[in-house]
Amino acid sequence: MKWLTFTFLTFVLILLLWATSDLPSRANPQSPANVHLSPEFTKLTETEIHVPNIVSAILADFRGYDTLGETFVIFTAGLAVLLVLGSHGRKKKDPRKK
Amino acid sequence: MNQPYESTILRFIAKNFLVPLMIVFAVYVLIHGESSPGGGFQAGAIFASAIILVRLIGGNTQTKGLKSLPMPLLIVVASTGLGIYVVTGILAQLFGANYLDYAAIPLQWFNEFAGENRTNRAMGMWIIELGVFLGVASVLVIIFDLLSKDPKND
Repeated sequence: MKWLTFTFLTFVLILLLWATSDLPSRANPQSPANVHLSPEFTKLTETEIHVPNIVSAILADFRGYDTLGETFVIFTAGLAVLLVLGSHGRKKKDPRKK
Repeated sequence: MNQPYESTILRFIAKNFLVPLMIVFAVYVLIHGESSPGGGFQAGAIFASAIILVRLIGGNTQTKGLKSLPMPLLIVVASTGLGIYVVTGILAQLFGANYLDYAAIPLQWFNEFAGENRTNRAMGMWIIELGVFLGVASVLVIIFDLLSKDPKND
């Protein structure tokens, strides 16, 4: 079973590496992301939002749903730690122990 | 972390110089989030590190100032931060736009009040960054408090 997993994962690794060779270079100005999205965001930030920081404009306005989800993730993490490590409900058991 | 560590460097430098600087810098990063690198997440992390530094210096024994932020208050602040974000989105819907479309929220009165010229979208961005700041800062402090508490003194 271990060797089967190893073979399968090696196959997936080779597949992914093969697919990587097809991706455009990160700094390529002619790649699809840089041709369509970046000029759009740059233009809209200047004309619609009037904010100097394009990164903040994308994070908080264009991708507001994404940031909302990130905030929910952090809040849920705090809630989970609170439920696991918090002392709620344990106080009732303590007198019985003593 | 139960006993305070008596160190002049920690007491003097960190308490009197580092912590106020970190709090001021956190507010700066929050307010200037739209015009310079920064924003709610970063400001919340810096603010939470200031509070955690105070707790590391003082130990669990001291109960004054920033060391004694009670857990219910932190939970309320974290929920308020998330609530500000969600309510801002719903507010945009109430004024007839899509969810989180800040352009519809009437915030022009602030420009007249503060003598500035900012768009509604910039104002909306700042409001949700404030919500993110409150949420991130209090959640980080909640996690630190729960991980560092003494189970015997529960």
